Formats: sequence, C-alpha cells, structure tokens
Amino acid sequence: MTRYVMVIDQRRCIGCHSCTVACRTWNKLPLDIIYNPVVTEGAQGTWPNVHKSWTPLLCMHCENPECVPCCPSGASQQDEDGTVWVDPKKCLSCKVCVNACPYGMRDASHLENRMHRFVRKCTFCRDKRQLDPDAQPYCVLTCHQKARVFGDLDDPNSEVSKLIGSVKTERLFEEFGTEPQIYYIPELGGKA
Amino acid sequence: MTEISKTATGLKGLMCPDTESTEVDIHADGVEMIKSLCYFCHANCGVLAYVKDGDVIKIEGDPNYSSQGGLCCRGTSALLHVNHPARINHALKRVGEKGEGKWEQIPYDQAIQEVADKLNQIKAESGAEAVASAGGTTRTDDWARRRFLNQFGTPNGFHNALLCWIPTFMAETCVAGWSPFETDLGGAKSLILWGMNPGASTLGGMHGYTDLQKAGLKIIMVDPRYSETASKADLWLPLRPGSDAALALAMLNAIIYGGMADYDFIGQWCDGYDELMEHIAEYTPEWAAPITWLTPEQIRQAAAMYAMNKPGCIQWGCTWDQIGRASTTGSHAIALLRAVTGNLDVPGGDGMPGPALNFLTDEELELNECLPEEQKAKQISRYKLTSWPGYQIISDTARRTWGKTLPTEWFCEAHGPSVFKAILTGDPYQVRALICNATNPVNSYGDAKMTLAAIKAVEFLVVVDYWMTPTALFADYVFPAAGALERPTIVTHYGATDSLMGGRRAIQPKYDRHTDMVFWRKLGLACGQDPANWPWETEEEAYYEVLKGIGLPVSNYNEFVDNVRMYYPPLHQSKFESNGGFWTPSGKVELNSTILRQLGFPGMPTYIGTIENPIDTPELLDEYPLVLTTGGGFMPYHHSEHFQMQGIRYLYPDPYFSINPEKAEELGIEYGDWCWIETRRGRIKMRANVEPEVAPEVIFAPRGWWFPERDGSADLNNPFGCLESNVNVLTSVDEEHCDPMGGSWANRGLLCKVYKCTELDHEYKAEDTQFSIPGSVAEPGIHVKPSEQPLAREPIPFEMPQYPDGEVPEGYDWVWQNNTLYQKGTNYKLDASGWLINPRNKAYYDAYTGWRYDANDECLVDDETGKRYTMDREEIKYMGAYRLYPGATAPFEVPEQLVWKEEGYATLPGRDELIYDANSGWLIDPETNVYHDAYYGWAYDPNANCLIDMETGKRYTMEYQEIAE
Amino acid sequence: MKHHYWEPPIALYLFLGGLAGGILFLSAIMDSFVLPNYTEIFAWPVFWAIVCVAIGCVFLIIDLGQPGVFWRVWTTATSIIKWGATFLVIAAVFALLFFLAFIGDAWPIFAPLSDFLKPAASFFLGVAGFFGLCIMMYTGIMLSTLKAHAFWATPALPVLFTVSAISTGCAAITLTLGGWPAELDLFSMIAVEVVEEIIHTVDIILVVAEFIILMTMVLSFLGAGNVTAKKAAKRWVCGSYAPLFWIGMVGVGLVIPFILYVAGSGAAATLVAPILVLIGGCLLRFLVVNTDDRAPIPGEERYYTRCAKPDAEFVKKWTYGENLF
Repeated sequence: MTRYVMVIDQRRCIGCHSCTVACRTWNKLPLDIIYNPVVTEGAQGTWPNVHKSWTPLLCMHCENPECVPCCPSGASQQDEDGTVWVDPKKCLSCKVCVNACPYGMRDASHLENRMHRFVRKCTFCRDKRQLDPDAQPYCVLTCHQKARVFGDLDDPNSEVSKLIGSVKTERLFEEFGTEPQIYYIPELGGKA
Repeated sequence: MTEISKTATGLKGLMCPDTESTEVDIHADGVEMIKSLCYFCHANCGVLAYVKDGDVIKIEGDPNYSSQGGLCCRGTSALLHVNHPARINHALKRVGEKGEGKWEQIPYDQAIQEVADKLNQIKAESGAEAVASAGGTTRTDDWARRRFLNQFGTPNGFHNALLCWIPTFMAETCVAGWSPFETDLGGAKSLILWGMNPGASTLGGMHGYTDLQKAGLKIIMVDPRYSETASKADLWLPLRPGSDAALALAMLNAIIYGGMADYDFIGQWCDGYDELMEHIAEYTPEWAAPITWLTPEQIRQAAAMYAMNKPGCIQWGCTWDQIGRASTTGSHAIALLRAVTGNLDVPGGDGMPGPALNFLTDEELELNECLPEEQKAKQISRYKLTSWPGYQIISDTARRTWGKTLPTEWFCEAHGPSVFKAILTGDPYQVRALICNATNPVNSYGDAKMTLAAIKAVEFLVVVDYWMTPTALFADYVFPAAGALERPTIVTHYGATDSLMGGRRAIQPKYDRHTDMVFWRKLGLACGQDPANWPWETEEEAYYEVLKGIGLPVSNYNEFVDNVRMYYPPLHQSKFESNGGFWTPSGKVELNSTILRQLGFPGMPTYIGTIENPIDTPELLDEYPLVLTTGGGFMPYHHSEHFQMQGIRYLYPDPYFSINPEKAEELGIEYGDWCWIETRRGRIKMRANVEPEVAPEVIFAPRGWWFPERDGSADLNNPFGCLESNVNVLTSVDEEHCDPMGGSWANRGLLCKVYKCTELDHEYKAEDTQFSIPGSVAEPGIHVKPSEQPLAREPIPFEMPQYPDGEVPEGYDWVWQNNTLYQKGTNYKLDASGWLINPRNKAYYDAYTGWRYDANDECLVDDETGKRYTMDREEIKYMGAYRLYPGATAPFEVPEQLVWKEEGYATLPGRDELIYDANSGWLIDPETNVYHDAYYGWAYDPNANCLIDMETGKRYTMEYQEIAE
Repeated sequence: MKHHYWEPPIALYLFLGGLAGGILFLSAIMDSFVLPNYTEIFAWPVFWAIVCVAIGCVFLIIDLGQPGVFWRVWTTATSIIKWGATFLVIAAVFALLFFLAFIGDAWPIFAPLSDFLKPAASFFLGVAGFFGLCIMMYTGIMLSTLKAHAFWATPALPVLFTVSAISTGCAAITLTLGGWPAELDLFSMIAVEVVEEIIHTVDIILVVAEFIILMTMVLSFLGAGNVTAKKAAKRWVCGSYAPLFWIGMVGVGLVIPFILYVAGSGAAATLVAPILVLIGGCLLRFLVVNTDDRAPIPGEERYYTRCAKPDAEFVKKWTYGENLF
C-alpha cells in the first residue's frame, strides 16, 4: 500500500511564499484560491527577545477526513493512497465540505464564471502524479529551503518515514480526530 | 489535456474553470527540454523550460543546477511574465504630449533609426556627453551598453551600482586587490550576514546557510530588523539602522585590542598594522555602544565569535552601500576585519576569485579603448572611487597584478542622481538625452521626486523595458525588451569572477521584442558605428566568443549549456601565496590603503555618522524622533518589479511598513492602518505592520512600490502612484549626504516620524512630495548648484612621491608604492633581472622584443607569430617539429655512424630526409613522424614492435634479427 | 481567516426550510390529533409552506457554485445534505398534493382533481408534516455535524433550530390560518379560533423555550466554550453582533412577542407578534450561519487580512490574451 504524506520542516521555512505561487501557477488556480498559504503570526515576544516561525499549510489529506462523507454528490473523495480530492465533474459546490474542513483548506473561487464554480483543494498534485507516478508536488519541488518533504509513509525507506521516525513531529488539530497526514517538525525542539 | 497556450494566452483561461486536468505532459511528443536560467534576480536559478512548437508550455526548477530545483515566486511566474497583457511588445513612439500615454506602434528598426538620428544630432550640437544612460540591475548584458557608449563617446552610463556592492568592491580592492566576495562556506566555522537577508533576497544561498548551520556553522546576523534570516541566526545584533560603520570599527577595535588578530598573517602579508592599531584605538566598543544601541558586550561577543571561529566569512550585504556618507567607511572597516583575522582567500574564508583568466571578461567586451581621455574627464561624478579617477588606478593595478581588470560598467560610472540634477540644473553641463534600459529610476533612485522632475524635464528620453513604467510614460520612444526565457543568460557576476554559468533561451523573443544586446547593436550601427565592432548578431555568438578560451569541447554556446552549463575554474585558494603577494600596488594587504590616500581619502576608515543622527543633527529629533531604514528587499518583489504579477501581488497587495507594537500603541496605530511616514524630504503612505521585529524607535519600510494597475496619465504628479508609497521620496541624494568616496546616497538611518492617515489627509497630494536641490520639502526648487555644494568630507591633499631616478623611462609607468616600473600597454613588471614579468602566467619576457622566455627550450617565443628565437634573438629554424642547429658543429654528441649536415642536423649518410633526435636516439622523418633505427635507417613499426626495411620490405626484430615471413 | 463560505441565501434557506417544516408539522399535528375534519383551514398555511420551500430551494440552488447540476445532490447515499434535500422534496410534494386537494374549492376548473385528492388530504398533510419535522431537525443537525465550527457543533443547535422552526411555524399559521382557498363556514371559523388559541399558547411556550435554549447555548459557550466558541459568543453578547442579538433576536424576536402574546390583544397578538417572531427566527439563522468561526491556525487571520480582495483593481485590470502595448 501507498500512503502519501508530507513532512514540513518549520526549522527550515523562511516564509518566502514560493510554494504558494508555484502551486497556484502550475495548478492554474484562480487568483483567490490558495491551496497552500504560508502563515505566521509575526515575531512573537518583546523586542529584541523575539521569535518568528512560519507554518506552511495545505490540505492535511486526513486519514479520517471530515470533508468526504459530508459530500452529497460523491465529488469529494479519497484515493487509496490517501489523496483527498474533488472531482469537478461531480461537484455541485454546495460548500458543505468547505465548512466541514477544520483547516480551512477548501474553497470555490469567486472569480470564476458564476455558474461554474467548483470546490478546489490541494490534491498533492494528483494530476501531475497521474502523468508521472514518481512526480513530486510543485510546492515540494520549488522550495529552495527543502522545507517540504513528500513521500510514502508505508515505505519504511522513504524520506518521510525516516523523518517521522527520527524527529519529533506534530500535527494540527489532532483533537478533531481527523488524523491529519501533514507532519510538522516545529521550529523549536525539533530534535527527537 | 489542455494546451498551456490556452492558459498562457489567457488568465481568461484561468478564469473559466477547466474541469479537465490542467497538467502539462512534459513527456509528450514534440516537447523539448531546454536548460535555461531564471532572470528575475541576480541569483539566476536553474530553469528547465519545456518547449513545444516554439512556445514554452511549462517551466520547472532545474534539480541538477546549484539551485537544486528551487524557484521562488518570481521564477515560477516566468510564463505569466512572458505573456502578460501589460508587457510592451512593440516599439512605441510618443504621439501626444509627454506623459499623455498616446503611442504609435512603429517597426523596431524604424524607431532605432529615428533615435539614432536624434542622438547623433545631440552629439553634434552638445557633445556626446550630453547623452546619458541609466541601467537596471542585471536584466541586461551591460557590456553591450558600454560598448555602445564608448563608441558613441559618452562617459555617462550609470546604474544603481553605487547602492549595491560597487563602493564596497572598490574599497575592498584598495585593501587587498580584489573583493573577497566568494565565501567558501563549506569550510567556514563562522559567518557574518551583515545587512543582508538571503531569506528574502537570495533563497538559493539561504538553503546553503541553513544546511551548514545544522552542521555547526555559527551565523551572526547584523540587521536592525528581525528578518527571515535573523530568525535562524545564532547571534543577532539589532543595531541602530545606519550605524554599521561604528559597529565595524568597534569590532575591529575589539579584535585588535582583544588580541584576537591573526598575527602570522598580518606579519607576513599585511602592511600598516601599527598605524591601524593606533588609528583604531579610539573606536572602542564602549564608544560604539550609544551609536549602535548595542552593548559593548554584544560587540565583543560578535567580534570574538567571528575572530575565534576561524576560518570565517563575512557575506557582503547591500546595506553597507546604502548608508549615505558613512557607506564606504563601513565597508572599508569590514574589509579590514577580514584582513586582520586572516580570512582573506584562505580555505573556508572569503575567496578572491579575481578576473576570469581563461575566458573573456566583461571588460574585454566593452571596448573601453574607444573612449577618449578627454571624454572620461567629463564623466558626471564627484565621487572618485567609483568613477574614472579611482577606477583608473584600481584597474591599472589589476592589470599589473592579475593581468586583467574590472569592467567599467558598474565599476566606473557616472553618479546617477548627479546626472538627474544635471538635467534639471545644467550643472556641470546640460544632459539632453537619457536612455533608460531596464530601469525605472523614479522608483529605484534616491529622491524620487527630483528624479521624476528630471525624467519629465529631459529633452529626449528613450526607455527599453518590459512594462509601461512611470519612467516609460514620459519617454519619446519605448522599446520592448525580451525577458527571461526569451534570451540566453550568462552569469559572470558583473564580470568580477572567474566562474561562469549559462542558460539557453527557451524561445525566440515574442512580438517585436529584442534583447538589450540587439538593441545596443542596432542602435550603434544606426548611429554609424563600425560594424567590425559589432561582430555578433546574437548573444549566443557573443557568449561563445566569451567562453572559447576555456577550451571546452563545445562548438557553440547552446552546446556549452547542454553539456557543461556551470564552469568553475579549479578552486585555487590561497592564490596570494602562489602569486607571491596580494594584488595591491604594494603586493601586501594595505591596512592603510595607498590608493585611497592617493585619491584624497583617509587610508584607514575614519568614523562619520549617518546623515541624520542625534549627535550631528540633534535639532531634528523633536520633529523626527524615529529612525527609518529603507531599501531592504522583501519577498515576493524585486526592486520595483513584479507588481503586475497578479498571483504574487494577491499575496502582498499593499505596502506595509514595520513598527514596534509599543510605539504603535503610543501613536494609536493598529495593524493595517494607513499611515504617513515623513522625513524632511516628503511623506509617503503605507500600511502598518505592527510587529516586534524592529526596535520601538525604528521604522522599516520596503522599497519600490508603485501601482501599475492605475491609469498613469491620470495624475502626472504621481503617475501610477509612483510617489505615494515610494520610500525613495524619503531618501536623500544631497551631495553632502552622499558617501564622499563611492557616492552612495542615503537610504538608511534617516530620521522620520509616523502618523496615521486621517480622513482629511488620506489622499496623496502633490504638495506631499515636492522636489528641491538640496532636498527639503519645505523649500521647493533649486537652491544651489550641485557642484557648489560641499561634499561630506574635504579631500585630504596627497603628494605623489617622485620617481627616485629622475625621469621615468619611456614606455614605462612607475608605481610608487613598490617602486617598480611596469611596461605601458602590456602592464608587465620590469623585474630587477631586467626581464619583464607577465602577471597572468608569471612568465618572463624579453624587455626589448616582448618575446617570452621558454625555460624548457632555453629560447624566446613570440606568442603572436609562434616563432622561436635563440637567447641571442636569432630565429630558430625547424625541420618539421625538430629544431635545426645551423653550423659546422653539433651542439650534442652525434653517433659515429651519422653525418652532420651544415643545415644543422645529423642523419645517416644518404638519408637526408631523416633527422637525428638526440633525446630519443632515433632518426625521425619529420613529415610522417615515423621513427627510424639510427644504425640501419629501418622504420619502426610500433604495432608489431619490429623494424622494417622500407626498401626491401623485410622485417627485423629489435635485435636486428630478420623475421621470417 | 476565510469566513462565510455560506452566504445569506443559505441562512434564508435554513430559515424558510425550518418555517415550512414548522407550518407543515404543526398543521399535521392539529389536523391529525387535535381538530380533525377541518382540514381545509390548513390549505392556506400549507400553501405558504410550499412557497417557503420553493423559495428556500431557489436560494439553496443559487448558492451552489454549479446550480445547473443541483440534482447531483442525490448521487451518494450517506451525506446529511442529501437527506435534507430528500425531505424537502417529499414534504413539498405531499404539501402540494394536499393543497391541490383544496384548490378546486376556489377554482372550479381544478374541482375534479381536488375531488380526487381530497379523501387522502389528511394523509398527505400527515406525510408532509412528518417530513416537515425532519426538515426542521435536519437544518440544525446539518450545521451541528460540521464540527470544525465551534459554535455549530453543539447538540443545542438542532434543538434551538427545531424550536425556533416550530415557533415561526406557529407565527405563520397564525397569520394564514383559514385563508384562501378555504371557504369557512361557522364551524370551521370556530375551528380556526380554537387552533389559533392553541397555537397562541404553544408559541408562548416555544418562545420561552427558545429563549432558554438560546441563552443556555450562548452563555455556556461564553462561559465554558473553547477559545473559538468563546470568541464567537463574546461577539454575540458584547461584540459586533450584540445589537442584532440583544435588540433584534432577543428583544424583537422573543421578548416583545412574548409580551404581546401574553398581554396584548387583537392585532398586537395576532399580527404584530407573529411577524416579530418570524423576524426573530430569520435573524437567528443569519447570526448562526455567520458565526462560522473555525479554530484559527496561528497566523491564518493575519495572512488573509493581508491578501488582496477579489475586487482589487489589479485583479481585474489585465486580461490575458489582450495586449496593451
């Protein structure tokens, strides 16, 4: 089995937004759709004792996604490899999945034709991987800092497995029980 | 599968949802992969362009390039850039009033001819110097521009170079003979990132820093702002903006008086240490503490971290060159930091690449010899280090020590703001025409309102650009520029390094766009310049000429990119050891620079404050209590570029300045509020980023803002909003605010105030930014001729030593520092032995003939003709490749069975066609190079290892036994 | 942080769906268990229920990104939305059948049809009423299953929505009971009076109940909710929603109608109070739907604040494919 996950090393991220722009450029997203924002609260603390870190986001491709069972048309679905995606041919854009996602990682564009707006989200570059099974998502490729690592968690030799096995990682909002599959190596205390 | 052309030609395409996969299949038939380079900043990351039917359908980062596949926001937008609807695609001729925005599209060549005619007319009426040219930041092949300007005869080419590296480079070169800018981080134990933020400017570099830091490299960050990079540093020195010179001097003091200097290095390679020690005594960390807002302990800690973790590097930071009058003082002090710690050109230290010795440097492409001396003297710049007076000395020294020199582009330029002032004031003379290539001076040069006034006032303005910028709006002709993907790229770091990287053009320029080299070439030819001086029609031809000398097995430029792409010469560190010294006039690291002294500057860094500070201008503090720093790069923009790229702009639509929450609360400012930032020179509007990334007294404002989406002609006081959020409204280019050595103007450490925009003054008005010379918004107009304004520092008179033996011998230049004569023209050193020494290969040359001495053959070689001469300067004759010794006697022992011929060789009787080779003991046929036995004259067959009698065809063993057939 | 993916049409739809459900449910109860044989007096209320469902569905479809393919809602088995849509359709169909059974009274042309349907009228109303109850509960349950939203993910919400829906149903029935096409004789006029009296009492109870549930929910979020819910509740109690909440929903929608119901007479109780209840119910849906607060990922708020608005000048300025110069 294959289980695609991403490990994001916050120790490396410097908030350049390259992943955001690469993603929206190559996935040809409408302007108001951002699959992978890189957010920060800014410097924290009192100057000069401050600290700053960035959280690159994307769909968490949860093991137990909230956004799939709520879909009335079956457009929102999950592949066997864990990829959660929306089939535009099935979506009617009722936005219940958008509201169901605890991470705010889905939306339909307001810039598109009013009659044809479908819900979009990160697909781990599913289209790209269908053309080339070894392809990496655009956000991973473009990252100068190599802060994003993509791979198969079920393969014990993959880089993601090794990272998750050796470094303390965190996941966002585990309390929702969604089992998110994006693993963060936090800025501080990342060593196991 | 959708064709990318659908999306490439249309954001419209993006607007309509395409429910099919939008993925481009790069493995499809007919798709070619081309190795290209990104062209949106200096980092030039590797790009793979996928081309189908002459159009790029996709790009990706090149994982096999040094950038490891990384591409930032700017790079990934390249395809949108190529097809952006606001790109200029045709030559435009102004048909309305200036600034009215009415254009006629005309054929490119027609526009070129019209411009050439006008330039020639101005040259005939006012002299070539009345034509000036502003350049951008390596979006161009600037050697081509200089090639044009030199042939045209004007010395007035300029860039924003004085704000970016050049004064530093020149000061460092005065100290050690080249800029030690190539950090060897792999071997370094400490690194100072000083006033640079690779986390926002050069991401490829940042990746390396992060990796190395994990491996133990100590990173010291000097930045008033808690930048992207500072967030990852080991030690962060949040100094007062602009106090870099004080910090550098204090660190120098701490190292020298803390006993942390490298005394071996200093003793062997440096000159003037005692003088420096005495000079630096007053600049203690305690002295610097109140100026820099750092504690003496912090300064000592940083000094110790750098000096004790050797080898160490100091990465150049743009800040050094943007502090105004204190700029070069700071970079000079930093140059000395490296020197006294022995980090120059050593493994793990700051490498000094020197000029490229085996391929053509930019300088060799510039035709500087075309510019007459009297025109050089007319260059508009009062700042000698970075214009002809300083360049000439530094360049001569470089030729004498390296054998090659720096380009004049970047390193020897007019002073941009002074050119703009000359347009407005006619002082020192009227500049009538300006050619702006890849630059938007209104946003990128200091004192934007004065620059805008000059752009409006100049008689004839030509702009070559991608976009309709505020500058282009006032042009008489606008030429479309070919951009990334439409041009090949060669990276030689301003012609100042010995490595070379290349990328191919992915597609031919679209529409009527042309590359800048083609522009200058066409313009030059249209102006009547000698076609022989413009031999290359395309960049590819020119670049191939550049790299031919390396001797790679490639037959054109594209092959080089496909097969080699990155050329690094063998990394020969510690070159000063093999060279027998540094590349300064004295051959030592000059801690008390002779070149600077000769130019009338202090030979050692002497403190001078920023243009506005509590000590020198205390009267300003009441009105302007905060310290402003501008000019820092920020993702996702580059200088004043990319505001048109919607995908990028969406993330950062408005300008944000940073203010500390404490101060913001005091001023009643909340996150996102529009505020005015005001200095003595005007005010601009930005939104508040309330964040403790700066000290409570510091304001950080990003550069470059304009609003290309607006109608430029709607408000000619503020076309495209180019003044309302542009930090350069706040910066100063007054003569006495500029660095007296390098001419850098003041972008940082300015005093300002900040207040919220109110209902009453929310809109920008022309009165907010009025130009004046010298700059003060309170007194608009021109108050003084720039040439009559004092400089920040009076020149220190320097008396040139006299040649000790009367007249300098004809044909030679005398260098006073090392009391040595150098041959004019070649710049070969006249050695005490009476021979000339070529600095490049250290070979000896005959002082009379210029022939090279060949130690192996004990002869002289004329490298031009290839002819060889005896030490008595008589031509050596050859039979094939074998030397003849004409005369009755042989110079070597001749075996008895042979005869000596008068022509000068030995052979078997009757076998005149063979020549005896004394080294091998064989007879050789010089025509076929076949070896023959010296007793019988039988030919040697190396395949069968036997001898053959060619007359009889019989074969013999090496022991002369006949071999039976 | 991005907010308000569901826009006003959805709030209106939830309100109208609940209202229709309330009307149908109450009518069915009255008809089946309280006052059989006066079925025709419910024709006009049921007509309005149909109108509400119809308008609600229009709003629902309008809010879809791809309205043309709204029928895809029935393509999978599990989702709550699909059940909601099914309830709506069934309730509407049976309500329509019910209404058609009486339209012949007014328009003789339909008399044969009405006569054909009339025997089953109470059955139709019963079915419609049952599915009306389902609609009422579904609107709240649908929101409360979206556990990303702290203010929705509470069992109190379906209860609140259901109570409010019945309450607005009461109000609507009060306004419409016995209207066209029913031709009232003396007995049915008495029946109308009786039903109105009962409904009047029921609505008083419901208004009180709604008040209690609402306060419990909001105040318990304020006191004991997680950070997000607390923040949202604070907005209701003393933040930007406070005027709408206290004056609009609590004052106009609950307290004043209560007073009018209890102390008022004539038009105050039969006309003004029900209208106020309807306004209150509508406001409740708006405020709840707009209170879609998600636990923010640190920095998310700041990120989206800084991003451009989709109507920014530069977004609309250039169209790829058109060259300006």
